[in-house]
Amino acid sequence: MNTNTGATDLLGKPLTEQEQVLLDAYQTLKSLAARDDLPPCAARNVRKALASMWQATNDLDLQFEQLYEVGV
Amino acid sequence: MAYSEYWNPKNETLPREELQALQLLKLRRLCEWAYATTPFHQRRFDAAGFKPEQLQTLDDIRRIPFMTREEWMDSQIEKPLYGDLLATDQTNAIRYHLTSGTTGRTPIRVLDSMKDWEWINEMWCYGIWGFGVRPEDIVYFAFGYGSFIGFWGAHYACEKIGALVIPGGAQTTEGRIKQIIEMGVTTVCSTPTYALHMAQKAREMGIDIAKEGKINKVILSGEPAGSIPAVKHTLEEAWGAKCGDTAGMTEVGTIMIFECSHQPGGTHIIEDHFIEEVLNPFTDEPVGYGELGERVVTSFGRGFIPVIRYRTKDMVMRVPASTCTCGRTWDIYDGGIRGRWDDMKLIRGTNVYPRAVEAIIREYNAIDEFQIYIWRREDLQDEITIRVEITPEYDSEWETMQQKLHKDLSNAHEGLRFNIELMEHGDLPRFELKAKRLVDARPKAQY
Repeated sequence: MNTNTGATDLLGKPLTEQEQVLLDAYQTLKSLAARDDLPPCAARNVRKALASMWQATNDLDLQFEQLYEVGV
Repeated sequence: MAYSEYWNPKNETLPREELQALQLLKLRRLCEWAYATTPFHQRRFDAAGFKPEQLQTLDDIRRIPFMTREEWMDSQIEKPLYGDLLATDQTNAIRYHLTSGTTGRTPIRVLDSMKDWEWINEMWCYGIWGFGVRPEDIVYFAFGYGSFIGFWGAHYACEKIGALVIPGGAQTTEGRIKQIIEMGVTTVCSTPTYALHMAQKAREMGIDIAKEGKINKVILSGEPAGSIPAVKHTLEEAWGAKCGDTAGMTEVGTIMIFECSHQPGGTHIIEDHFIEEVLNPFTDEPVGYGELGERVVTSFGRGFIPVIRYRTKDMVMRVPASTCTCGRTWDIYDGGIRGRWDDMKLIRGTNVYPRAVEAIIREYNAIDEFQIYIWRREDLQDEITIRVEITPEYDSEWETMQQKLHKDLSNAHEGLRFNIELMEHGDLPRFELKAKRLVDARPKAQY
């Protein structure tokens, strides 16, 4: 499915529906990684997942940023 | 199951104007990041009068000062262990690797965070997927898994792809061959010289690996030989498999280029994650398609140690993406990495700088003269032999000295084995002017 969601990628192209879902998942993981109330099993696995999701969203030109402030 | 031919169809087929727009955007952000966080880059940018906001077109990259290995090493020596190159706190690192240095015993040391390390294997995914590895594959790594970055990223890439990964680790060649056959391995990752050695050893064991094995892909890295047609032909015959070249460097942590399954006689540049410039090494002016030049790399991956306009000294010849029929819009290095513009030598995947070897030898007062002799054993395996003459009064100490020299050289080169040969006093040439103590007796590559 390639429905335009209104937002754009780094090149200004409208995001497809699947890109928007990926970007939302990335943002959710980023928010979780910034929390300090998660148990180690959640905190570390969230970071691992975020490191992976950074690749997908970066490969698809959805973001290009660093994540060291959340230890990733 | 039908898979996409590309790991990232969006960017691997991106029109070149858009690709360049993406590169410019990433370059500006990378420079802003480097300037804000890294004293090394702040100092260099300021000295050159460069500011990231000056990057208005991709050609403005030429305003950025070059980064050299020498500067990197000087910074590390001045401020051990990492110099002032780190963009973030060391506690964010999960991984340490090194590569042999240009001079003496100091290596280039690198750190990666969780995201950086994941990116390193992501780049390998581009290459390994592009050469045809899929979740159904069984991939064997003929690799020692040490501090040298080597195939580490490829290992994790294959796990990510979903292939079954067999880490060869510290085994004999015979043990590895038996495992490759027994496990029904379909893909082997190796340096070209070791792949040749394994094929020869299999023959000695009475095994026709091309017939008795299930290998259909050999992924090569660590040496230029993977793109030398004669070597590739020999390897493909011996293994009964397609051989694909890749090339990377510890300084960026991963591969920048890979050969796709269409085997165009060269390696695609991963252009959404790197800017590769090809410059005349003497004038620093860009050279055109089809001309030999030096590759200068900018990496958008590892943010821990930003690498911007790094002079690699690698000799390359860039040709347009359309040279290949695969549909990628990424340009190609015809013949892969063709050689070096400096005196660095690659021995079984390890960088060897004659200056670094000499610095260690010079610590031995008893050594009167020496020669670094590089040769190829049985047309298969690269060897490095240090021929030494010692002053006669030290003859009785030779055995101990030899062992120590062997260890010192190996420790400074990621465990590489050096041969040491004692010569009769007066056998080696003496030099009054520019000394030529390096002899590279390997056959020259034909492209």
